[in-house]
Amino acid sequence: MKTLSIIVLSFLVSLRVSSQQREDKCMSCHEVIGDNVAEMYKQDVHAHKGISCSGCHGGDPHMEEMEQAMAVEKGYIGVPKGDDISTVCAKCHSNAAIMVKEYNSILSRNQLEILQLSVHGKLSVSGKERIVQCTTCHGVHGIVSVKSPSSPVFPTHVPKTCAKCHSDAIFMRAYNPALPVDQLEKYHTSVHGMLNAKGDHKPAECVSCHGSHDIRSAKDAKSAVYPTNLPATCAKCHSNARYMKEYKIPSDQFKKYSVSVHGKALLEKGDIGAPACNDCHGNHAAVPPGTESISQVCGTCHSLNASLFASSPHKKAFDQKKLPECETCHGYHEIVSATDELLGVSPDAVCSRCHKENQNQKGFIVAKKMRELIDSLESSDRIATLLVSDAEQKGMEVSEARFKLRDVRQARLQSRTLVHSFNLEKFHEVLSNGLTITGVVKSQGQAAIDEYYFRRWGLGIATLIITVVAVSLYVTIRRIEKRQTRQE
Amino acid sequence: MNFSWGKIYSWINERVHLEDLVEFLGKKYVPIHRHSVWYYFGGVSLFLSIIQVVTGILLLLYYKSGEELAYESIQFIMSKVEFGWLIRSIHSWAANLFVLAAMIHMFSVYFGKAYRKPREMTWLTGMLMFFLALGFGFSGYLLPWNELAFFATKVGTDIAGVIPIIGKPIMIFLRGGEEVTGATLSRFFGFHVAVFPGIFTVLLGIHLILVQRQGMSEPLGLENTLGNEVKTIYGERSRTMPFFPNFLLRDLLLWLIVLNLLAILAVFFPWELGKKADLFAPAPAGIKPEWYFLFMFQTLKYLPAQLWIIDGEVFGILAFGLVGFLWMLVPFWDRKSSKGEKNRFINYIGIFIVMYIIILTILGWT
Repeated sequence: MKTLSIIVLSFLVSLRVSSQQREDKCMSCHEVIGDNVAEMYKQDVHAHKGISCSGCHGGDPHMEEMEQAMAVEKGYIGVPKGDDISTVCAKCHSNAAIMVKEYNSILSRNQLEILQLSVHGKLSVSGKERIVQCTTCHGVHGIVSVKSPSSPVFPTHVPKTCAKCHSDAIFMRAYNPALPVDQLEKYHTSVHGMLNAKGDHKPAECVSCHGSHDIRSAKDAKSAVYPTNLPATCAKCHSNARYMKEYKIPSDQFKKYSVSVHGKALLEKGDIGAPACNDCHGNHAAVPPGTESISQVCGTCHSLNASLFASSPHKKAFDQKKLPECETCHGYHEIVSATDELLGVSPDAVCSRCHKENQNQKGFIVAKKMRELIDSLESSDRIATLLVSDAEQKGMEVSEARFKLRDVRQARLQSRTLVHSFNLEKFHEVLSNGLTITGVVKSQGQAAIDEYYFRRWGLGIATLIITVVAVSLYVTIRRIEKRQTRQE
Repeated sequence: MNFSWGKIYSWINERVHLEDLVEFLGKKYVPIHRHSVWYYFGGVSLFLSIIQVVTGILLLLYYKSGEELAYESIQFIMSKVEFGWLIRSIHSWAANLFVLAAMIHMFSVYFGKAYRKPREMTWLTGMLMFFLALGFGFSGYLLPWNELAFFATKVGTDIAGVIPIIGKPIMIFLRGGEEVTGATLSRFFGFHVAVFPGIFTVLLGIHLILVQRQGMSEPLGLENTLGNEVKTIYGERSRTMPFFPNFLLRDLLLWLIVLNLLAILAVFFPWELGKKADLFAPAPAGIKPEWYFLFMFQTLKYLPAQLWIIDGEVFGILAFGLVGFLWMLVPFWDRKSSKGEKNRFINYIGIFIVMYIIILTILGWT
């Protein structure tokens, strides 16, 4: 027992001696000379993991003499510059053996690779290094976990961190003069920004939409904020009912938008002219549009409809009742393609919600008449198209009539726009023009079909005549040959 | 005033001595045997070429050559001009039937060895007219300036361009430049309505004079023609019929049947116009030449890129050129037939070529 006690004591003493020998001389010296960097590094996440200064700067931290500790032969590299900074970080962060086995880290190990492919990974104006290094966002010596509220990349600090460069007009001019530098200012006015400023780390900040290491230009089709990808990016949070619960807003916007005319155009047809979330709500200054601004928002694209509505009698009535203009009839996220069924006085028609036979009667009469007119043009267009198609199927040349049908479509389109003026006289004018064209097309289509049958009859008669002549000729030949045989 | 054909005949005869012609026609005889039916295809070809001239002249009244006008003018002919659709459809159908009839006529002459002495010149003029017919088809195909025609011409002239040494200059000459453009259209129009018809008329004149002068060739082995029954080498008894009126009236009867066929085709299958050519559009899928070029087109598709030391396409074009040349000169190398001897080798070559054309055309079509 005594022997065992002596062995254990000797082992502990040897450990103490070994620990004294392996003391980090970098820290002890730099503390002695009052270097602030050493103080900062004490708080660094890397220091907590036992990584010495030499982890980045090289050298031997156990040497007593500075010349020996910071000798090039010992691997000392001094202060890394330019791309060497990120290379030094990647030495460990891209190495699975170090990150997983030594530090049991779950961080992805391709950050540098992704950063180099990002818009920030492009060469800087000097042409010697990339625009952004790891330290640009994460800081140096005082690096803390991204989950720590003191980290410059913690959600509540991200906007300011990004703004260090993005709000610097002189700096940004060197890279992208067209890119605005007021994103942070706008962000502060947004719902997201205001909550973020209050210390709420859940609302979207720069990284939530643009990504972190993998940030791409908004014009890059792979970017999370490229129009076709943006609705899904917003939906990451806004379609998460649990995440949105505390904000008391619905989480079905993306679902509704996806089946809307805008959603289908953007997400199914890839038409980037169609509005994504940011086109109505704004992007950095995103807020829900108010009642008064809805028509302005829609009017940025549907300008003619908006101006017709603004000069219509409905404008005053809607303002008085504080009704949102476009939204009242068309809805918002789930806006479907406007059909003729919206117009009129049938139960499905939106006009009938306010205009009844015994209530708001003038509007009732106008809506009814407009629907009758639009239906008559639709029916006339359908008949004309059928006639032209029938003639085409019969092999007739009706390209002119087919071309005129475009004018009918144009008239129908115009009439649907003119509905927003709620002016029966103007509406009638356009409809009459369309009906006149369908009349011409119908007569051309019918003429082509008549011509087709005329050709059939003509062929029948011509064939008959030729056949009669041929038979007569055959009979003549037979008669001549019989006569010749008799003569022989 | 009493009308009578006799009086009219006398009136004309008095001035131009028609009786000489009638006497000449009266002495013309056409042999009758089991292959006589093939004689009619020469007449059918002639009839179809007359239809082409007549309908072509009528189309010329409205057709406007030029990149911006050609397609529209055909559209106008098809939709606005009275019976324009009929004339254009007949012209297109008759063109195809003409090539078919001429082809049948050529092979019937070949298998009947009718090219043998003394009819070498008739064969040569016929062959030249056949090549001209293909030229008519190729040049006429572009004139509507539609998508299919444009790309078919592009491919066709590209093929001409691969011939060593002379290919490129030929291609540039045909196109009127490096690419198929409005200049090509003007050029093809010129060939189609002026150059080719002029040459064709001269050749047709010589061909018909030779046929009239030398009479119809009889199957090898016939010794006597004028009304006497003789035994041919096929072992059958042969006799003759007067050219006028018997053969001529039979010819007329067939022409009427062909006219009927043309009318039915034109009405039931009007020739489509398609889309206007767009010089910057990509070639649509399934570009094919007219059926009579299909066997050559298909052969070129089957040939490997490299054949020995020569490019596959160049080999194919040179081979077709050589075969065509030898085919045209058959009266000069088939000595046996000229001596009146049987030559089965000629038949085997002919059968092989006919089968080759039919099979490759079907493969190209499907």
